[in-house]
Amino acid sequence: MNARDSILAAIRAAAVPPAPAAIAPSTPAADDSGLHEAFLRVLTEVGGQGVIRTAGQPMESFISEPLGAVRQDAMVVRGRFAVAENAAVYVDAADLQARNDIVRAEHLVVIVPFSAIVPTMHEAMRLMPADSRCGWFLSGPSKTADIEQSLVFGAQGSRTHCVVFDRGT
Amino acid sequence: MSGPGGGAHRGHAKSAAGFLVDAERAAWHDQSLWFMRQKRDRGTDLPEWESLRLAGSALKAHAMSRLADLLEEFERRATANGVVVHWARDAGEHNAIVLGILHSAGVSRVSKSKSMLTEECGLNPFLEARGIEVVDTDLGERIVQLAKEPPSHIVIPAIHWKREEIGALFHRTMGTPAGETSPDALAAAARVHLRDALMNAGAGITGANALVAETGGVVVCTNEGNADLGMHSAPIHIACVGIEKIVATRDDLGVLLRLLARSGTGQPVTSYTTHVASPRPGAAMHVVLVDNGRTRRLADEAMRTALHCIRCGACLNTCPVYRRSGGYSYGHVIQGPIGAILAPAVDLDAHHELPFASTLCGSCADVCPVRIDIPAQLLAWRARSAAAGTLPRGYSTVFSLLGRVLSSLSRFERAARWARRAQRLIPASWLSGRWNPWTRPGRALPVLAVESFREWAHREETPS
Repeated sequence: MNARDSILAAIRAAAVPPAPAAIAPSTPAADDSGLHEAFLRVLTEVGGQGVIRTAGQPMESFISEPLGAVRQDAMVVRGRFAVAENAAVYVDAADLQARNDIVRAEHLVVIVPFSAIVPTMHEAMRLMPADSRCGWFLSGPSKTADIEQSLVFGAQGSRTHCVVFDRGT
Repeated sequence: MSGPGGGAHRGHAKSAAGFLVDAERAAWHDQSLWFMRQKRDRGTDLPEWESLRLAGSALKAHAMSRLADLLEEFERRATANGVVVHWARDAGEHNAIVLGILHSAGVSRVSKSKSMLTEECGLNPFLEARGIEVVDTDLGERIVQLAKEPPSHIVIPAIHWKREEIGALFHRTMGTPAGETSPDALAAAARVHLRDALMNAGAGITGANALVAETGGVVVCTNEGNADLGMHSAPIHIACVGIEKIVATRDDLGVLLRLLARSGTGQPVTSYTTHVASPRPGAAMHVVLVDNGRTRRLADEAMRTALHCIRCGACLNTCPVYRRSGGYSYGHVIQGPIGAILAPAVDLDAHHELPFASTLCGSCADVCPVRIDIPAQLLAWRARSAAAGTLPRGYSTVFSLLGRVLSSLSRFERAARWARRAQRLIPASWLSGRWNPWTRPGRALPVLAVESFREWAHREETPS
């Protein structure tokens, strides 16, 4: 018997009794108006920056302002939606030139539609494209605490991470 | 070259005693881990936390009950997405599969992000002995790799290293300035060194935090971004995964992701959560599904739920024994309470001491995000250890005596009366003598009450 068949046979021989599928806990009904505030608060805690662009304001200023002089090292990517509980933005590889763009860039700017925000990962999982080939939840810049638990941003991926909620048209 | 963790393993108790010789360092280690535990407590302060843990436990039990079906579903979808799926019965098959992939593509240099499975299989020494350079790219793993040590913690591999020691190590191996100890400067040097390795490797090896049957996707969580830089830069991505890592649906994955980082580091989620279901154009993606004892554990009803472990590290951080004995005292690739129930299944004879490396305080079960009853399994392993005759002679004699005393109320009361009297008659210095492993300077036997609670209650209730 090959490895595949012998592993599957061993699993079936273990005859684990049926166990029902899990039911995700329901989260308290969120007041949508508070989601952006929650997101931005957590984003600051995880080392990112966040801004809201309102209609009529030029996008360029929102990209260059938080980054200052380092604009040329920045990668601007499209985020599909944001998750309030953990400040993650979902980015799909279909929207990128190359998959390693999200980690190769020194500075990452993610632009996400203002209205595309959900409270928790439970709702987020339902919004991920069903046929996504590759996608990420990005929450703040790359970081490490492997040296005496001192938090250092810019371990191997982006050093800075900025989320722009786009309210313009 | 040896680092702070060096030395051969001599059994848990002896290794722990060695670890405690440097009292200052042991206290520092204890505090570092307790800091993680406190971050976990703050991070898990959600109203629905306990229902999340119940869901985490349920989704894992469900996945184990349908394991074969889910693995087949995963294989079918992954294959349709252009992923090559391999199966390995044991570490040897796993290593041979990885080597075969590298050989057929002529790869001589690989980057590897953190994977406890490849540690379990001994992949690094196997590949290095065959002329393939492996660069561990998680910063903590790179530190211990440069020092030729194994990780001492499943999530924080170099938790036992001090910044001065890392500075000296990087000075020798990366040419950082002598005396440099700033974490920012050291991490910046490592960034240059590791990004070069990640972007110029012939293949990127990763582990996986989960496989999703519903999508055929591999999920990898990191804070550093090293797994992404590796898997999306190299022409070949190889994900090495234990079969127990599978979950049925994306909904299940959502629960798991809410539990994982909060339990491990107190973060709401890791910086990078990658869901990769197919190779990028022009690249190859392989998934190696590994058994290596997992199906044997699945068949072992009493120990089955140990397979639910999501390797968050919470039980290590909270364990009073792990914090005060260090990762190397376990002598196993997985340390701490979860290691103490995983290791005996691999080799009871070699690891018979580990189920005793616990006070059974239950803190590990309280923090476990998937509610594994670790103390119950520690106890069950102790029984098996005794039944297999692996206990030291003294242990068996004492335990059989204790068993006789504790199983009978009258015998217990007689023994207690005798002990109370004996303590008053026998000199304290003799009771705390060198023969008694429970006492040492500063830790004497407390004075026993002159009467038992039962005797007191009986006297109080009796009308005078």
